[in-house]
Amino acid sequence: MLDLASRTAPDGQPPMLRRPGTPALIRAGVIAVLFLFVLLALPQLLSLYYIDAMTQVAVYSVVALGLGVLVGRVGLVSLGQAAVLAVGAWVAARLLFATTQPYPLVLLEAGVITMVAGTLIGLPALRMRGLYLALITLMLAGGITVVLATTNFPNGGHGFLGYDGSTVHIPAIRRPSIAASDPAYFRYSVLVAALMFLLVFAHIRTRPGRAWAAIRQSEPAALAAGINTTLYKLWAFALASFVTGVAGGVLAGAVHYLYSIGFPTQDSITLLAVVLMGGAYSMWGAIVAALLLQLLPALLNNWGVSADWLTILFGIGVLQVLTTAPAGLADQVPKDLARLGGLVAGRLRRPAPPGDGSP
Amino acid sequence: MRTHKHVPGPRVAAALVAAVGTLVAAGCSSSSSSSPSASGSASSTSVSTSQCGTKPGVKATGTPIPLGAIATNQPGTSFTDIPNMAAAYFACVNDNGGINGHPIKYYIETEQTNPAQIAADAKQLVQTDHVVGIVGNTSILECTINHAYWEKLGYFVVDSGIAPECYSTPNSAAINMGPRYSSDGAVQYALSQHVSKVVFDQSNVPGTGYIAAGPAALAAAAHTPIVQLTENVPIADANSVAIKEVNDAGPNGAVVLNFTPPEALVILQAAQKLGLENRVKLWGCSTPCDTDFLSKALGPKWNNKLFVNAEMTPAETTNTPTMQLYKAILAQYGKSVSGGIGSFSEFGFAEAEIVVHALESVTGAYTVASVNAAIKAVSNFDTGMVCKPWTYGSYPMHIPNNTDYTVTPHNGTMVVAQGCTDISSVDPQIAAYRKAAGITG
Amino acid sequence: MPSWLDFQPFIASGLALGGVYALSGVGTVVLYQATGVVYLAFGAVGAMGALIAWSLTNAGVVGWLAWLVCVLFSGAVTLGYGMLFGPPLARRDPLVKAVATLGLTLVLFGLMDLLWTTSGGQSRAITLPTDNGGFTFGEIQVTWTQVIGLGAGVAIVVVTSVFLRYTKLGTAMRAMANDREITATLGVPVRRVEAAAWLGCGVIAGVSGLLLADLVALDATTLTFLVISSLAAALIARLRSITLTFVAAIVIGLLHDLLTPIQSLSNYRDMTPFVLAAVALLVFSRRRVFSASREEV
Repeated sequence: MLDLASRTAPDGQPPMLRRPGTPALIRAGVIAVLFLFVLLALPQLLSLYYIDAMTQVAVYSVVALGLGVLVGRVGLVSLGQAAVLAVGAWVAARLLFATTQPYPLVLLEAGVITMVAGTLIGLPALRMRGLYLALITLMLAGGITVVLATTNFPNGGHGFLGYDGSTVHIPAIRRPSIAASDPAYFRYSVLVAALMFLLVFAHIRTRPGRAWAAIRQSEPAALAAGINTTLYKLWAFALASFVTGVAGGVLAGAVHYLYSIGFPTQDSITLLAVVLMGGAYSMWGAIVAALLLQLLPALLNNWGVSADWLTILFGIGVLQVLTTAPAGLADQVPKDLARLGGLVAGRLRRPAPPGDGSP
Repeated sequence: MRTHKHVPGPRVAAALVAAVGTLVAAGCSSSSSSSPSASGSASSTSVSTSQCGTKPGVKATGTPIPLGAIATNQPGTSFTDIPNMAAAYFACVNDNGGINGHPIKYYIETEQTNPAQIAADAKQLVQTDHVVGIVGNTSILECTINHAYWEKLGYFVVDSGIAPECYSTPNSAAINMGPRYSSDGAVQYALSQHVSKVVFDQSNVPGTGYIAAGPAALAAAAHTPIVQLTENVPIADANSVAIKEVNDAGPNGAVVLNFTPPEALVILQAAQKLGLENRVKLWGCSTPCDTDFLSKALGPKWNNKLFVNAEMTPAETTNTPTMQLYKAILAQYGKSVSGGIGSFSEFGFAEAEIVVHALESVTGAYTVASVNAAIKAVSNFDTGMVCKPWTYGSYPMHIPNNTDYTVTPHNGTMVVAQGCTDISSVDPQIAAYRKAAGITG
Repeated sequence: MPSWLDFQPFIASGLALGGVYALSGVGTVVLYQATGVVYLAFGAVGAMGALIAWSLTNAGVVGWLAWLVCVLFSGAVTLGYGMLFGPPLARRDPLVKAVATLGLTLVLFGLMDLLWTTSGGQSRAITLPTDNGGFTFGEIQVTWTQVIGLGAGVAIVVVTSVFLRYTKLGTAMRAMANDREITATLGVPVRRVEAAAWLGCGVIAGVSGLLLADLVALDATTLTFLVISSLAAALIARLRSITLTFVAAIVIGLLHDLLTPIQSLSNYRDMTPFVLAAVALLVFSRRRVFSASREEV
């Protein structure tokens, strides 16, 4: 089965949310505090510019999470997830313009409809994997991009497509009434993202997660062990598409206006690049990937660095991760920190040399 | 990219580019020397840049007046030349007395056609940089996304328009005519040459239906059939696009293109290689084709065959004091204006001119209220860059530039084929604007 | 429905487009056969070479020297990449090798946009001397460059097929792409053979880059991501048969352009490569029984 790591990927008990030797209770506590900080304190601390950027981080962390399930858990590499996100956003926008349904219901519907579409895309995956699966998903993404470029995103028009090309005042896609302002919508996005993370977490910790791990290790062995590999592979595609579709719905409200030029085929490639950089084997990796994809550009933009440098950086990052750190930054950085900590501790235990200014 | 254009200086990115350029290939960096700016700097020795301020040679040292801009900058589509030229103008003003001694501090935000980013950029300019005016915006989507925000806060934006809302909302006034009215101009010229049919082909980007409505109205009024086409970009099959256009237009018809310069060039070159340039009566093109790059790349076969709508006064052949000042500022301050002399830098120059003119009329503190009241009050201001004087005004919509030239390639440059001509009021939007602004005719 | 006459000119343009896809697609398969890597930076390397050639000609360098620099640049970058990243990735899944070349693609793409900016409305074009001559076919003119483009595709197919099959170096390359370690134990100088494969492929990328810059557009975005559409042909041939790749590319090009005059489908014609590739792969995979081998689909 596909194995992005040169050495065997962390397996058995999935390593997500796990630090070596940390008791589970403390871990859960840290996550809870972090979550409350992001939800309550962060919007107070940041300017609207960074709140908007962090809303995007919340959206894309879910997209990266979905791709992480496919790549890291099951070993199915998809180069079409940006197109799946576009489908989710399209469905949500269409529903938001056409109906007055409550927002959570629209998100759920966008997720389910995208899930159906994504599972159809996953059908060829039943017989393909590795390189061919990646390339066929890239082909499908290319096709979806052309369709979306021709049909356009809904902009308040009538008919099935909901697009009116001649309008001179395009209405904004609505947000939930309880989250109309940017800080409120940020909190809303974080909550939805947290729910999606819990959903995926629940899958990984139960039967599907174990089946996926077995399939990733060896598909024949999984078959021999009586695992319905077809079912669980489709299940993975369904789950990844569902959370990506919901993310598309959140994206629609976040940006207010959607354009097909905003979802080029090559975005799927960049998405895979950052997921690999962040770490496809851990749920933290999804957050790191989203920070790389959305917060880093906002920072660089603010520092006056051209977005081209970001493209170059992503390229170097992919090469670096694939050659030296297969489990991504989410795995590497804690290890590096631990190593650094060990070094510092070792230094401190020795008496400091005279004249050393360190505390 | 976000740059603080208070005093022009080497930017980190530019330095890194240069460093990488020398590493990769010595020849790469020479690309800039081929831009038309080289020819511009030679002819500008007679005019001094000191004319751009009230106190020649005196650096402005007062509290800065913060202004901001948002421009698209992504691979293949970059409009940073416009704010960069405005920055060059402001730098010149700052070196020559500023605005009553106050220098202009100019913040340029860039975006990659990401709506969330465009909205965030506006908030950054307002909340963090505390800009008192918005000038030089040039973005595919910005007007659509931010117009309500500017209206809410009372900013009157001076921009280069692309999206429909740049022309149909109360708080945006553009120096250019934008894709619809420029396409109007190109179709209008074709109709004036009595073509039997018009094929209007444009890139499939947001707002195609809005743009198409103008040429459709013009053709209908002239009782000439029109075929509307759109192409997905980037174009990989220019040959079939060119054949389709020519087949649809017929020998007495016209093909009018509305694409970015690289895409238009790809189509026109394909037509040339296929030997199709003479298979229609004439070819037309909206403003983006008005660059010497295109004229040079195309060659003499298109002289008097391709007619490009030009919103700005032709820079190479005009020798007014304003045009000389423009060239002098470009030569002295415009290092980051990569395209050199051309429509884009003319936009930036004219927009900066308008806002400096407005700022000079402000008495008292430079606040959002005072500065934007002054911008809105700009009336009949002669920019020296467009056909008619420019007015902002309190109108529900703004198409202040609605009179234009037609140019045609000639030995590597663009020359005037038809002088200033009003865009026809047959376009309902033009009619609505002229009615709102009280213009008759 | 348009008549037969309306379709006629699109046959010639369709062949030309097919030639474009063939150049790029065949190059990809040759690389895969020789190195075991789907080299997704194929378009980006060629585009950067072509842009360098454009800058050189604008600086007054004679044409042939600029073209030579373009080809050498592509060769050098590809060789450098192969030498630097080939060994550490040698034992990894083909997918990992392919994704790694996406890293190179992104680096080159970013560099190109920095160095050859479009912020002043710059539009660039490469014209080859062969653009000015040609013949007329079905009412439209066919330039020698288009003929060369198609011919280059055929030439690459023939030469590389013969080379990979009948020469010692070619056999070594194929063996190595299949299994590096066994080939090494058989006494083949693995590093040298690999270097030759990468260099050769880089040269092919450079030549196609130059031709594609003339035939399609001298534009970083277009040329870099043209690889995505051209991959369709390579996928239909399942990255194995160079000849089948060529034929598939021509079919895609023809079908694409023949859809152009049909109003209702015209705007969807860019889907042609993707749809054909998806259908072909689905049909292939339907005919196969499940196979656990790493080499299979």
